[in-house]
Amino acid sequence: MSNVLTIVDMHKTYSGGVHAVRGVSFDVNQGESVAIIGSSGSGKSTVLRCINRLIEPTEGEIRLRGNQINTPYTDINDVRSRIGMVFQSFELFSHLKVIDNVTLGLRHVRKMSKRDAENAALEVLEKVDMLDRKDAYPGNLSGGQKQRVAIARALAMKPEVMLFDEPTSALDPELIGSVLKTIRGLADEGMTMIVVTHEIGFARDVADRVLYMDKGIIAESGKSSIIDNPKTDRLKRFLSSIAEED
Amino acid sequence: MIETMNSKGRRRHPLAFPSIFPIVLISLLVLSIPANAQEYRSGWDIVDSGTLEDLYSVESQGDEIWAFGENGIMIMSLDGGLTWGVGESLTLSDLTISSSGYGSFLTASSDGTILLKSANDTEWSNITFDFGNELIYGACLTGVSELVIVGGNGTIWTYEINEWTNRSVSGWNLFDVSFLDSERGIAVGEQGTILFSDDGGESWDYRDAPTEASSSRITDVEFFSEIRAYAITDEGGVIKSSREINTAVGFLWNMQYFESEDNSADLGENLTSIEIATTNKFLLSGKGGYLSMSKDGGNIVTRQIIPLDNSTSINDITMMDSFNGVAVGSNGSLLLTERSGEDEQIGFEVMDFSEFGNFVDYSKGMLIDGLYATINIVIFGIFLGFFLGISLSMMKTSPTTLKDISQKRSRTAVRITGVIFTVIGASFLNHLVPIIRDLGLDGWEYIYAPIGIINPDGITGDLQFENFLFLILGVCLLLLGILLVSANGEYKKSHFNIRGRNIIWNPWGIRPLNFIATIYTDIFRNTPLIVQFLFIHFGVQIGALVGDPGAEILGNSSNFILSFLRDDILSNRACVSAIFALGLNSGAYQCETIRGAISAIPSGQMEAGRSIGLNYIQTMRLVIMPQAIRICIPPMGNEMVNLVLNSSLAMVIGYSELTRKAKLINAVTFQVFWSYGMVLISYFIVTWTLALFLRYMENKTRIPGLGISGGS
Repeated sequence: MSNVLTIVDMHKTYSGGVHAVRGVSFDVNQGESVAIIGSSGSGKSTVLRCINRLIEPTEGEIRLRGNQINTPYTDINDVRSRIGMVFQSFELFSHLKVIDNVTLGLRHVRKMSKRDAENAALEVLEKVDMLDRKDAYPGNLSGGQKQRVAIARALAMKPEVMLFDEPTSALDPELIGSVLKTIRGLADEGMTMIVVTHEIGFARDVADRVLYMDKGIIAESGKSSIIDNPKTDRLKRFLSSIAEED
Repeated sequence: MIETMNSKGRRRHPLAFPSIFPIVLISLLVLSIPANAQEYRSGWDIVDSGTLEDLYSVESQGDEIWAFGENGIMIMSLDGGLTWGVGESLTLSDLTISSSGYGSFLTASSDGTILLKSANDTEWSNITFDFGNELIYGACLTGVSELVIVGGNGTIWTYEINEWTNRSVSGWNLFDVSFLDSERGIAVGEQGTILFSDDGGESWDYRDAPTEASSSRITDVEFFSEIRAYAITDEGGVIKSSREINTAVGFLWNMQYFESEDNSADLGENLTSIEIATTNKFLLSGKGGYLSMSKDGGNIVTRQIIPLDNSTSINDITMMDSFNGVAVGSNGSLLLTERSGEDEQIGFEVMDFSEFGNFVDYSKGMLIDGLYATINIVIFGIFLGFFLGISLSMMKTSPTTLKDISQKRSRTAVRITGVIFTVIGASFLNHLVPIIRDLGLDGWEYIYAPIGIINPDGITGDLQFENFLFLILGVCLLLLGILLVSANGEYKKSHFNIRGRNIIWNPWGIRPLNFIATIYTDIFRNTPLIVQFLFIHFGVQIGALVGDPGAEILGNSSNFILSFLRDDILSNRACVSAIFALGLNSGAYQCETIRGAISAIPSGQMEAGRSIGLNYIQTMRLVIMPQAIRICIPPMGNEMVNLVLNSSLAMVIGYSELTRKAKLINAVTFQVFWSYGMVLISYFIVTWTLALFLRYMENKTRIPGLGISGGS
């Protein structure tokens, strides 16, 4: 399997001096789904955001299909259009209808005609089961629906890798299911993805690999089975604390 | 449920209608009020003639006036036409002909009845004669009891010392005859016939009518003076003869073309008579209640208002002198004027402005003009301000730092650029040092140096901006150049330890666009608007700098919009200055308003836009701005209303907008309360319309699902 994404010794120090990520390295292979788990403040979101450079990593290398993308000379817009991103708080464009949210990137980045863009958008909206609400405004959608539209918006660009930044954290428990089902569907189709999540069960069922981050480093990684059989104390403690919450 | 909410979001809000209403109202007001609100009153007064018979002709000498009419009616006035008495009828014929002169009066009927009241006599004498079968149409006294009559088929008879002599010529019907003195006379008739005699009517020569009138019926002639004679055709033309260098009056005749009738030679009226008041002033009468007057020999003929209806035929006019005259018409109509019939302009009266109706009558035109002027600068000011506001706010929020720009280039390229900038900047400053030194400033006075190095040329009004621009550019380029030269490829902030304090110095964090926009907004928000008006108009003279070349570029274009721009905007220097002052000032404030709205958009929106591959500008345009503008409609409304109200300051540069008009109205009427009160109402209408429009926009652009919800 070929490497889609390679991250080598990535560091990030915020301008306030917080050293959030302290040397993270991992690969993501074609068709692989990687889950990053860890407690709040462990740097998992920072890692994800560094990958499409919403945050500029301080040190280290990020390679997309072998090409380093964190240089000043990289066409960042091109890179971002190849990496889909789904946010915790959806970030739909509230002044645009669902369909226009999805076609925006197609029309202005991919330079597609309005008709082509809409056809492509209808396709992905069908995939996330939001076809019937295509003319609604985001303000009139439920959280789960919004997140599915956000997934459709990212998918429409036909990204090589999808990044999910805690896609279900802002959702009510009963709405989580539909979103997770959509993501699971994508994983089954062979979409390469990195999911930052608190849903341990989801990570175990869907992810090919699980990375456990703590204090800015990857404390433990391995197949999803490590969730059932944690090797390090830190992961054990983390898992037991989550179990207590549940 | 969700579906209905959705559709509600897109429905036109009920406010749409009321917000259009005041706009329509104002347009109607502006359109319906004529630019010239002057009112006119007739210069003629009705006088009781004492008869209901049709009056056909009228003659005057001094204060003695005689009018003659149907069934031999004869009326007279001895007091200049104020009171009239009906005289004894001497005949039952219709007295259609009359003449006066040498103290005598003459009247005649077409059947040959001729009555003469000689100056030597107080009674009328009947000198009726049998002219064969010919009808007579005109008569003229050539002496105390000498006269000439003309009639059908060239009939001409003279009457001297109680003797009738036949002077007939072969030709067409003759309709009128007029003598200047006892010798020189003109007779006119059918088919453009004009005859001239210089021997008291004994012999007659044909003269050429103008070709335009060669087949017309010339019905009335007035041989007024040595230099002028006029005649009319019954279809509405006036021909005239003037003394030329080589010819006397009566030789050459010209058709009169009327400027007031689009240079046509046809008044379109059925004329009955012409009466000459002075060489160039004449009056015309016609059927259909027509009375008109020209003061310039016929270039401009103005129909006069008469106090009678249009079914009255005005048959004849006589002028006692150049101002007083009498006109007679059908059914005993008799009109008297003291002003040659000229319409009276009521506006010339000194009005009583303490009466509100009069006050409004006087001031409304000026107010409308002022409103128009205000709206002009406001609309252009809003456009300029909005454009500047959007641009500046985007510049101000732009995150691109010097570091971002430099990082993408190699260190060598950055350093070479730095050297170039340093050299250019230094040379600019080097050029300016002697200039600044020669300003003769001392100590703190140097803070005024930036103004001092600009040379306004007092005579031509030209400004030399070069020095000022060089100064700013020189300083910026020098500093930037030194910074770039010092680049070591890391672009990190520097820490200095000064007296134990850690000073962080981060020039690479400077955002150039933000820097420029900040300077702009700081200048315009920290100086008073009124000073900006004065500085921009009188100091910079932007009207001359921008308006004159602008008007030149537009040339003579007759395009509606372009000619409006040229004539109403660019040619008016104060207007251009006012637009710039308002727009530049408002732009600075709008920039901050829009910037505030941009800040209110969650940062995730920019991230989301960028994450699908849109670049910064695209994300601003497609994602951030559409939402920010919606948020800032209420404060932008404030800003625009402020702009309208601030436009009143344009009066300090002499622009005739609403407030200045109020001042002028007050200067004439002395009605302080009403003058400024009316202006208040006018401003309110404008700003309120604007506010309603913005309210409507706010509702129309509202994003469904955002804002307050959940009931009260």
